[in-house]
Amino acid sequence: MPLSARFFALLSRVRALFGSRRLDAEFGREIDSHLEMLVDDYVRRGLPPEQARREAVLRFGGPMQIQEANRDHRGLPFVETTLQDIRYGLRALRKYPAFSAIAIATLAVGIGAGTSVFSVVGAVLLRPLPYRNPGELVRIFETNPLRRWTRNIAAPANWADWQVRNKSFTGIAAYEQFSNNGSGASEMFLTGFGEPQGVKNLGVSGNFFEVLGAVPLLGRTFTEDEQYEGKARVAVLSYGLWQAAFGGDPHIVGKTITLSGRGYDVVGVMPRAFFFPGRDVQIWTPFGYTPKRIADSRRPHWLGVVARLKPGVTFEQARDDMTGIARQLEQQYPDTNTQMGVRLEPLHGSFASESRTALLMLSAAVGLLFLIVCANIANLQLGRAVSRGRELSIRRALGAGRPRLLRQLLTESVLLSLIGGALGLAAAALGRTMLSRFAADAIPLFAEVQIDRSVLFFAVALSLCAPILFGIVPALSSSRGDLVTERSESTRGNQGLRHALVAAEVALSIVLVVGAVLLVRSLDRLQDVDPGFKQEQAVTFTLTLPSARYADPASRYRGFLEIERRVSEQAGIQAIGATSVLALRGFGWTGDTTIEGRAATDYERDTRHASVTTNYFGAMGIRMLAGRPFELTDTRDQPEVAIVNHSLARRYFRGLSDADVVGKRITYGRPQDNARWVTIVGVVADEKQEGMDLPAEPTAYSSIGQRQQNPLTYVVRTSIGPEAALAAVRAQIRDFDKDLALTQVATLQEVVDGAMAGARFRTTLLALFAGIALLLAALGIYGVLAYFVSQRAREIGIRVALGAQPSGVFRMVLRQGMLPVVLGAAAGVAVAVPMTTLLRTLLFGVQPIDPPTYAIALTALAGIAVAACAVPALRATRVDPLVALRDE
Amino acid sequence: MADKSDILQGTLDLMVLQTLEAMGTLHGYGIARRIEQVSEDVLQLNQGTIYASLLRLQQRRWISASWGTSDNNRKAKYYAITRAGRKQLAEQTENWERIAGVMGRLLRLADR
Repeated sequence: MPLSARFFALLSRVRALFGSRRLDAEFGREIDSHLEMLVDDYVRRGLPPEQARREAVLRFGGPMQIQEANRDHRGLPFVETTLQDIRYGLRALRKYPAFSAIAIATLAVGIGAGTSVFSVVGAVLLRPLPYRNPGELVRIFETNPLRRWTRNIAAPANWADWQVRNKSFTGIAAYEQFSNNGSGASEMFLTGFGEPQGVKNLGVSGNFFEVLGAVPLLGRTFTEDEQYEGKARVAVLSYGLWQAAFGGDPHIVGKTITLSGRGYDVVGVMPRAFFFPGRDVQIWTPFGYTPKRIADSRRPHWLGVVARLKPGVTFEQARDDMTGIARQLEQQYPDTNTQMGVRLEPLHGSFASESRTALLMLSAAVGLLFLIVCANIANLQLGRAVSRGRELSIRRALGAGRPRLLRQLLTESVLLSLIGGALGLAAAALGRTMLSRFAADAIPLFAEVQIDRSVLFFAVALSLCAPILFGIVPALSSSRGDLVTERSESTRGNQGLRHALVAAEVALSIVLVVGAVLLVRSLDRLQDVDPGFKQEQAVTFTLTLPSARYADPASRYRGFLEIERRVSEQAGIQAIGATSVLALRGFGWTGDTTIEGRAATDYERDTRHASVTTNYFGAMGIRMLAGRPFELTDTRDQPEVAIVNHSLARRYFRGLSDADVVGKRITYGRPQDNARWVTIVGVVADEKQEGMDLPAEPTAYSSIGQRQQNPLTYVVRTSIGPEAALAAVRAQIRDFDKDLALTQVATLQEVVDGAMAGARFRTTLLALFAGIALLLAALGIYGVLAYFVSQRAREIGIRVALGAQPSGVFRMVLRQGMLPVVLGAAAGVAVAVPMTTLLRTLLFGVQPIDPPTYAIALTALAGIAVAACAVPALRATRVDPLVALRDE
Repeated sequence: MADKSDILQGTLDLMVLQTLEAMGTLHGYGIARRIEQVSEDVLQLNQGTIYASLLRLQQRRWISASWGTSDNNRKAKYYAITRAGRKQLAEQTENWERIAGVMGRLLRLADR
């Protein structure tokens, strides 16, 4: 048959789905007219009308069957039956409004929660990164057991050697990572467009965009050559900055913009989807080093490295290649590269590594919740099947086969699920903004939570998956049996199934509740951790003095001090100090330390450094444990002094008290470096550095008067509230220099909260899921028991009539209701033990096998289960024997 | 069984097409009568069967239908072959003759 004929046939069948009544009538008329003609014929041949009519019908061959066949072939019978099932299903859903409402609501919760979690997981783990063949991209870190480095940023000289020596990559790009705060991008500010505006700039190598395979929206990206100092000052803008600061100016390429006092030519704009390494980076510039600076920098590490595998080269081959090169470099430069290894990570996995475990945990949790939802609805359906028994029996008696009934029941389930799924998806879409704000500090900076096609697809898949889980067993159970056995046999088996489902719900809930309690206890411990400073009533902001206008260290020093002085004189400002590295925002630079009096080969590695102003410790509320704070007299022309934290004192001077450490001398280098001696003049309490859950590392603070740093982060302690304090600060700074901009403005409390955002995010979600799970389990327990009581009313009535006490009846019902709960709880604990050990890395201060946690979880469950049982049990004690006996 | 009915379906469709081609516009009764006459009552079919064929041909747009009035003033649905139907008829006729030829030769061969 030609294609066109097939197409027309299908078209006609589809069209026939609509107006089937009209088509029936028309065909009826056609048959009538045909019969009339036959009758006419027979009459003409001399038959009496009665007989003519009979003959006509015989000759025609059963008008009803012909009509039926026409109906079947006219449209799409499958679709018509389904439409009929849907109409019937909707009617059935309306007939049991309480059941439908509960089922739809729980499905909406299950599917909504699943979809929301998926939207985050998809954003972080699944959505491909916006680079060409992102699977070919790897990140390269340096490792060093001597310094306890497991994934450290690279030394520029090593990076340069990797580029020349490797055989595995089409290119190896690098970008500056001066801090591990956010994307590690540096703050610059853009002037000449209204208020000076802080922007995040990432210094990158010339081949950066080429390695990523990122094509600009406008203009071009960088050339190899442009990475060197003095070649060109050029910049590529992010789509966001281009829109926000330049109004999407289509002629921006070629214009010059002023960044931190220097002019840069805009050469390109990246597309909206592009980011690297996080969405916070707004501008990319070549890092502009001299070749000599790169070649000489083998000791300091400050480059993030990303490379693209050559086609056909596997990850393992590349790793072996790089390990070989690292070994060559180790031999060639023992001074800096002893035990320096490399670590390769696929780019996407590397970006997502920190939130991966938590997201997988949440996926598993929401999966369990989904199963509980399905078990609960299956349970409700089994309960409803009993009251629908009569209706189904009648349908069966009227000739509906079992497959037909199954199909009808499953259609109802799918309807329920699709309605619930639509509501769930709507809720997920409405909650997206809230969720993404809540998740912002908990997931990597690149991830953007959105409801896209894949999320939509997932919601639909869940909605279609659910009926299989909750619909098939009840459908099989209630389509079985016949009129006679209906009310006795099948309901008994049904009841056993319902107990099993309740036990399963309880078991799954226990797993969730145990996990949630573990996380809540961890978060609780985390919140009790002393950050080492007082986070209340303090604001913080970062300030860069652009080297274009503050060329020499002395002028920057004077500038920072002057700002500090002016702000401190404002009303309501209790204290102000500044540091090069704010607590909980990682660290700046680290280096070796020599301790006076040790053997010449014995030195400490990886000491952290920060430069602070004299009032810093006071403004932060960090306790002085011994010695003195920095003084304004600790300047460059004076002998260098240091204040160390408690960890350094304890680890580097074993056995000495803090007071004894004061007066000791150290250098910032190895013994053979013969660096300048530094005298320790004070010891302060540890402040948290990389996280509330991580111990502080040994840190040496320098006076800003002796070691300059730019930018500095100010801490302002105030009694007038953060907004008022910041307004005063802004006014003073504008007054000092109108082209300066405050960046990273936050209260100290927000900084602390941000450090716990990941823990809070996963804990809140898991606790929410666990709570819903318990509620659903309670609903299941209640439903089964309430049914039990209504069925046994007569038996209970007899017992009461025979003298049973209400307390005895209560206990009997309670026992009946608690049996599946106890079995389920036992199974749940057995499953929870191995599952929660997987949570180990998400816990803080709590062991996975934590007896109090299990006690809390089981108590919560017992409480809820007893409450759910008590209602029907109480009802049982009020059964009036007369009424119960009369009823039957 | 399915195969047999398929062949019969196709055969009936071809008959209907040929009838409409030969006779012009006709109603269902007319078509059935005509086929019976031509087959000299060898082919005794329930006249209603014709409607399955008419539905198929209509769905494929090989025939078109419209209501009209018969000679003795009865409302009836009239069918006419379309251009696509004519094309299909030519193809199927050729096909049918080829197969009939092959079958004839084959059966004669088997006789010997």
